[in-house]
Amino acid sequence: MDPKHIRNFSIIAHIDHGKSTLADRMLEVTGSVEKRDMRAQILDDMELERERGITIKARAVTIFHEYKGEKYQLNLIDTPGHVDFHYEVEKSLQACEGALLLVDAAQGVAAQTVANAYLAVEGDLAIVPVLNKLDLVHARPDEVAQEIETSIGIDATDALPVSAKTGMGVKEVLDAVIERMPAPDGDPEAPLQALIFDAVYDEFRGIIVYLRVVAGTIAKGDKIVMMGSGKVFDAVEVGAFRPKMTKTGVLSAGEVGYFISNIKALGDVKVGDTMTHSKGPEVEMLPGYREPTHMVYADFYPTAAGDFESLREALETLCLSDSSLCFEPVTSDALGFGFRCGFLGLLHMEIVQQRLEREHDMDMIQTAPTVTYMIELANGTQQEIHSPGQLPEPDKFEKLLEPIARVTILIPDEYVGVMMQICNDHRGIYVRQEYLSETRVQLTYDVPLAEIIYDFYDKLKSSTRGYGTLNYELTGFKQDELVKLRILVNRDEVDALSSIIHKDQAEVRGRGVIKKLRKEIPRHMFEVPLQAAVGSRIIARESIAALRKDVTAKCYGGDISRKRKLLEKQKAGKRRMRQIGSVEIPQKAFLSVLGSTADSKPSGKSGGK
Amino acid sequence: MRPDRDPALLPGTPLYVHVPFCVAKCHYCDFYSFAAETGDSSGFVDLLLREASTRAADHPRTVFVGGGTPTWLPAAELRALFDGLEELTGFRSSAEEVSVECNPESLDEAKAELLLELGVNRFSIGFQSLRPELLELFGRVHQVEQSFDAFQAARSAGAEEISVDMIYASPGEKLETWESDLSQVLELEPNHLSAYNLTFEEGTAFEQWRRTGALIPQVEDLELQFFWRTREILEEAGYSPYEISNFSLNGQHCEHNLNYWENGSYSGLGPSAVGKVGHRRMGNPRSYGKWAERIRAGESPIHEWEETLAPLDRLGETWWLGLRTKTGIDPARARAVAAVDVFEDPCERIAKGLLEHGLLVHRDGCWRLSDTGLPLADAVARQFLTPGSGREDSDADRTEGSSSCSTAEN
Repeated sequence: MDPKHIRNFSIIAHIDHGKSTLADRMLEVTGSVEKRDMRAQILDDMELERERGITIKARAVTIFHEYKGEKYQLNLIDTPGHVDFHYEVEKSLQACEGALLLVDAAQGVAAQTVANAYLAVEGDLAIVPVLNKLDLVHARPDEVAQEIETSIGIDATDALPVSAKTGMGVKEVLDAVIERMPAPDGDPEAPLQALIFDAVYDEFRGIIVYLRVVAGTIAKGDKIVMMGSGKVFDAVEVGAFRPKMTKTGVLSAGEVGYFISNIKALGDVKVGDTMTHSKGPEVEMLPGYREPTHMVYADFYPTAAGDFESLREALETLCLSDSSLCFEPVTSDALGFGFRCGFLGLLHMEIVQQRLEREHDMDMIQTAPTVTYMIELANGTQQEIHSPGQLPEPDKFEKLLEPIARVTILIPDEYVGVMMQICNDHRGIYVRQEYLSETRVQLTYDVPLAEIIYDFYDKLKSSTRGYGTLNYELTGFKQDELVKLRILVNRDEVDALSSIIHKDQAEVRGRGVIKKLRKEIPRHMFEVPLQAAVGSRIIARESIAALRKDVTAKCYGGDISRKRKLLEKQKAGKRRMRQIGSVEIPQKAFLSVLGSTADSKPSGKSGGK
Repeated sequence: MRPDRDPALLPGTPLYVHVPFCVAKCHYCDFYSFAAETGDSSGFVDLLLREASTRAADHPRTVFVGGGTPTWLPAAELRALFDGLEELTGFRSSAEEVSVECNPESLDEAKAELLLELGVNRFSIGFQSLRPELLELFGRVHQVEQSFDAFQAARSAGAEEISVDMIYASPGEKLETWESDLSQVLELEPNHLSAYNLTFEEGTAFEQWRRTGALIPQVEDLELQFFWRTREILEEAGYSPYEISNFSLNGQHCEHNLNYWENGSYSGLGPSAVGKVGHRRMGNPRSYGKWAERIRAGESPIHEWEETLAPLDRLGETWWLGLRTKTGIDPARARAVAAVDVFEDPCERIAKGLLEHGLLVHRDGCWRLSDTGLPLADAVARQFLTPGSGREDSDADRTEGSSSCSTAEN
């Protein structure tokens, strides 16, 4: 298709602001999807996404729309809304020329919307503001338009009023995409340059590459080279997403689609790489993507030691479609062989854990998440610390530094006081405060990342009745009085439960951890002492009383088989437990040590799509 | 030996017979039994003897007739049962112990005399409680006095070995009243006593009442007090606690039951009865109708499930069963029973770990539960289960969960 009739765009929106509903309406009004195939949130095809109502992976879909008697191809590249998936958003935006900035006209601008909109501005994308949920009685479109102008700095006077729910204004949005967004400027006749913006693994067809053709044309049967890796593949199938994968045989400049070549080796495809014809003229590599910043680390250990290799394979497969995940082998005295994984944030961590369990049937134990610390040695060299176990004895290093995040919080002004208190409680340092409109305030603080992954988000949500939104980015490392909080179970130190925290919080946190462990570790046949220590100083202790009575009164000839099965069943209930010394610690105990976040699902939370 | 019997069923193998009839079903009871009317048992003895002809070993060492309520059977049927078994197995000359479970309402002197005449030499009488309100809660049909009458009837008829069954730690029961009840039973000088902590078994009225909150079990600490006081009182009176819930005077323990805890072989006849031949355990249908139908139709086998454990599973089972007894477990004997080589035996290593925690003691080459371990017998038992244990022949295990009960002094 002539690039003039193509538009590539994304929708930037906060969770719950109606992005997936708007996408569904667009597919519906253009007849891009059969009525019988229409199900709510057609773009979220991963089981987990539907369940949690969030978009994790960028998806693409082609919509055909008639405008002034001419047929246009609109490629909608879906983006995740959550702060953890910032990186995915960036990838999606690079494949687009424009973005719809979708804002809930009742709730107003959210912190992540601002952050993502900035990405679009930086990427020189044409931004079309859309005010959604105009059907709600408490919608306040004028005020929200003002918020958009103040917070993002774009003109919102011609923001489109929409109700994705009722379908009002959807056609006008499609028209605006054509009118107000530029067509891709690539030349279909030029040498091929295609950006790989995503990839998924299909058991039967190998790796499916999602690509945006920037220049030239790719056709079935072409010999293609991945410029980064130098690997050459035949284009076995080329097609587009409508919204199911549909063979087109050819994709030309400006178009978005997929490429299949029976690629089985996971390392052969790198998201961000450029594809071109292997025998064609030389072309320049496209800018690609910057390496993601891993903000949170946690270890995964297979429950059965024999599953180590399967866990490695599962992680490799996940990495293919999730280039923001990284992992390396690790050994723990308590937990054996496993992998230390780096994540973009807590929700990302949780999603990876659940995908490993569901899609790869892995049975694992996960350690408490930790941020990356930095130690400075006497000779001035710096060293990253990815787990408390890696921290040397205090006399072996000069300084212990922790990552600091610049946090932007958008809240209704009535919550400013309480929010400042929360920031102070989490060692936050005030940066500034701005009014976006008469009632909406943007607070900026520098907060240690460790505080954010602990329970900051929950506190924010609960104390602003869900109205507060948050975005953060890493700004650097800073020294503070940090100590290693050691946890001892039955006098054995459990490295997986230890943590690095601020000196002033050690006692409270130590007591909290011990209390949670006492609740989660079942009674044993002997008393189990639990201790929290800093260095050799015990700062909290409790003990789990010994089990006193567990005996069957009757066991005769007819009872034995049944009794054995009952005992086996009771024992199987301990499958997710780890033997530390002679104490069995359930996985739940490890997870509970995450803090309050563990109970209330830190960020998987508040719906949204 | 008759050719239609399992060649592994060796002469001398103990025999269990299950009589499912009762006047009424007790509210705590999860054995296979049901309230029956006069005449309901017609045909039972005939069917049972037909089963015995294929499944009972010659010259059993012990015979145990349990239920249900064996004494519920009319005299003529009891006579037919024991005479028939004698004809098929010759138990009267071989069995050193022939036990029958009796309920107070159906044991008088005449019946006791009859049973003695038929070859019975051990009476196990289900008193359960000396508290009228508890008997009512239990759904027992007898009165307190009838228990004493039944005991005296057995003694007068000439019974030398009499055992009494009691239940303690019932909802609302006070430790002091239990102590005095126990002392009162001891005045009868029974040769043997079984004292059970009340349990709330799946499928019983008691369990349902517990779930709905109508019955509240005693707290763990009080149950423990009952457990230890019972042992103290009985030991002071000269009774040896030879198993978790069983006490004997002058070594008069129940040989038939000891065989279970030694993981020995036995035949089981009657609905729901379980047997063990070699390493194979099999269970009859837990339904009178099904059981009767299979025998009438000449179906073989009569049992509806069976299982053969893998060697290490049998070994673990031998251990935890044996640990219930005062004698404890001799590792070499356990290996012989389970047919496991010494180099493959993980149990002694497990036992040493438990010894460190003070749960087991090791003396004269045998492992036993310590005083700390005794009330934790199940927690200890779980340590001896093979991780991920499986059957050698899982197909044979046809009806999961239908295996329940049968034997026992209930």
